[in-house]
Amino acid sequence: MELHKLGIVGGGMMGRSIAEKVAAAGIQVIVQEVSDELAEKAHTALVSSLDEELRKWGITASEKKVILGRIGFVSDVNLLAAADMIIETVTEDLEAKKRVMAELGGICPPGVIFITNTSTLSITEIAAASGRADRVIGLHFLPPVSRNPIVEVVRGIETSKETYATAMELAKVLDKTAIEVFEYPGFVATRSIVPLLNEAMFIVMEGVASAEDVDLALKLGYQFQMGPLEYCDRIGLDKVMAWMEHLFRELGDVKYRPCPLLRKLVRAGHLGRGTGRGFFAWEGRQRIPSARTEAAR
Amino acid sequence: MKVLVLNCGSSSVKYQLVETTLDLIKTNSDRAIARGSVERIGTSSAIHTYKSEGAEKTSEVKEILEHRVAIADIIRTLTLPGKGVLKDASEIGAIGHRMVHGGEKFARSVLIDDEVIRQIEECSELAPLHNPHNLRGYHAARQILPGVPHAAVFDTAYHQTMPPVAYLYGLPYVLYVRHAIRRYGFHGTSHRFVGWRSQAILGRRREETRLITCHLGNGASVCAIDHGKSVDTSMGFTPLEGLLMGSRCGDLDPAVLFYIMHKEELTEYQLTTMLNKHSGLYGVSGVSNDMRDVLAEEAKGNERARLAADMFCYRLRKYIAAYAAVMGGADAVIFTGGIGENAAAIRERTVRGLGFAGILLDPERNAATVGGKEGEISPAGAPVKVLVIPTNEELIIARDALRLIEGVL
Repeated sequence: MELHKLGIVGGGMMGRSIAEKVAAAGIQVIVQEVSDELAEKAHTALVSSLDEELRKWGITASEKKVILGRIGFVSDVNLLAAADMIIETVTEDLEAKKRVMAELGGICPPGVIFITNTSTLSITEIAAASGRADRVIGLHFLPPVSRNPIVEVVRGIETSKETYATAMELAKVLDKTAIEVFEYPGFVATRSIVPLLNEAMFIVMEGVASAEDVDLALKLGYQFQMGPLEYCDRIGLDKVMAWMEHLFRELGDVKYRPCPLLRKLVRAGHLGRGTGRGFFAWEGRQRIPSARTEAAR
Repeated sequence: MKVLVLNCGSSSVKYQLVETTLDLIKTNSDRAIARGSVERIGTSSAIHTYKSEGAEKTSEVKEILEHRVAIADIIRTLTLPGKGVLKDASEIGAIGHRMVHGGEKFARSVLIDDEVIRQIEECSELAPLHNPHNLRGYHAARQILPGVPHAAVFDTAYHQTMPPVAYLYGLPYVLYVRHAIRRYGFHGTSHRFVGWRSQAILGRRREETRLITCHLGNGASVCAIDHGKSVDTSMGFTPLEGLLMGSRCGDLDPAVLFYIMHKEELTEYQLTTMLNKHSGLYGVSGVSNDMRDVLAEEAKGNERARLAADMFCYRLRKYIAAYAAVMGGADAVIFTGGIGENAAAIRERTVRGLGFAGILLDPERNAATVGGKEGEISPAGAPVKVLVIPTNEELIIARDALRLIEGVL
C-alpha cells in the first residue's frame, strides 16, 4: 500500500505529534476534531509546538511552513473518506474508541486500515466495532511521541498479516523502531514499567528515601534519562494510576495495585507537571530543582 | 548519445538532458539540451520547471505525490511536441544518477546492477539523508525506462585516492576498522570537473600540476589535487566538516557538542539540525544562508553579517595555505560554485594575505570574471594561477555514463 494521505481522528497531543512526524516525511494529513473550534485549537497548538521546536533548532522556518502546509484540520468526519489509512487518537476509553471505529467503518472504503492508539485497551475488542477486524491494528507510542524512538505494534486476534506489514511500514515512515506485540493487557512497555514506578512510590511512602533520592539512584545508577517519579509527574499521576488500575483489574495480580501514596496525591489533585505539583514541584514545563538534585547534575 | 542526468533529493528531482559523445568530450563541446527540476514532491502543488536550449523557461504547478510520478512527468515533458527536445523516450541512451555516498566501495562511477544497489544500500547508513532518496530516484527511473543502462556517479568516489594520513581521524584505530569512520569528502564530481577543465587554461596536464580547488556553494569544500589525484579535502565523514558554509558550522571542537546538549537540553536530532541548518553564515549573521544577502546586509553596516563573511574567508584562507603546505606548493587555485563563480569580493578577501605563497589577484580580472565566466584572475606572470571555472557536475555524470557504456572508463 502506498500512503499518500493519512487521516487522524483527534487533535490532542498524540494526534498532533503523529501529524507533525508524518507531514515531515512528505505525507498529506487530515486531522479531524469534533468541532471547528477544537480543530482550530489543535491547529494553534501545533503551530506553537513547531515554534518551540524551531526555537530548539530542531526544524527551520521553511520546514515549519512545509509541515503546516501538508496538514488540514477539519471537523467533518466524512472528509476522512479520502484517506489511505486512519489513526484514531481519541481519549483512552474503550466505549469512545469503539464509537469512532464504528463510525469510520461506515465512512471509509473497505480496504482502508484503521490504527487504534492505545496503551492498555484490547485491540480485539476495539477492532470488533469496526466491521473489518482483520484491518485493525494497535500502535502504542511512548511519550513524548515526537522524540521517543519506540513503538509497540499490537496485533489483535483477527489482525491480518497484511495489516501488520502495513503498520510496520508506517512505523518506518514515522522513524520509529517497532516491536511486534500480541495483544495482552499492558502490552510490553506499560506492563513492565508499572511495577517499577509503583515500587519507587512505595519506597517513598515507607520513608526509606526521599523522592529526590529514589530518582537519583535510578537515574544515575541505571542510566535512565529521568527518575521514575519525575517520569510519573511528567506523564500525569492520574494517568499512571489509570494504567495500574487497569492492569490490576485485568490481571488481578497484587503487584499492579496502585501505591496508596499515589492515590492520595491524585485525590488531592496533585497530578504532577500539569497541575504544578506531584512528587515534585513544577513551574510551567520545568521542574523546580532542589539544591540536592542541582548539585548532582 | 543523449543522457538523462538525475539528482534526486527527499522532495525534489533536478535533471538535465545532456548530448554527449566521446568526440564531443575531447573538444569540451558536449552540453545540456534541456534542464529542469521538480520541487515539492509529495504535495498537490509540486512545481515542475523546465527549460530547453533556446526556449523560455516554463513552470507548471500540479499534484505530484512521489518520485516515480515526477520522473514520468519529466519524460513526458521532454517528449512533448513543441516543448520537448525528444521525439520519443527511446532516444534516451542512458540515465546517470548522482549518488552522494559510495563509502570505500566505490572509487569510480559504475553501471548499476543488483549487486551495485546492494552495496549502495550498505553505504546508506553513512548518508541517511541522501542515499535513500538517490536510490528511490533510481528505482523509479528503472521502472519507467527499464531497458536503458543506468550509471551511478558518487560524490565521494573522487576522494578515494586520499592517503590514510589525510583520511584518518585521531581516534582509536579500531573505530575505522569496525565502522569505517574516516574522512570521505564530498563534491568530488565538481572538484574533478574543474581540475580537468583547468588543463585547457593552464596548458598543462592535470597529472603535472598541484591544484587547490574551492567549491563554494551553499555547501562548500576545498580539495588538494596533487598530480591529478585528490590527496585531501575539507569535508569529512559527513559534509559538516571544514569550511563555514551557508547553514553548516564546519570545523568545531567536538567537546562543544556535549556541552551544548546539556546546557540547552537538546536531543541528538535537534543538535544535528542545529549544526546542519541553523549554523554557518546563517547562524553567525542571523541574516541568511545566502552569501548575496549576507554581503548586502554587510554593505548596510550590519556587523554580524560582516563577521560571518570574514569568518567564511578566514577559514577558507587557512585551508588554501594548509593544502599548499600538504603538496609542497600549488600551481593553481580554482574557485567554483555559486559563491566561487560570482562573489569577486569574497575571492579578494580570501586571497588577501596569501601573497607570501605566491597567490595573488588582479583586481580588474577578478571583478570581471563573474556570472558563469571562465578565466584567470591572477596577475600576468604570477607564480600561482588563480582561476574561476564554472562547475558542471551534470556534465561529468553524463560523460561517465557514456564512457561506462562505451567501455572506456
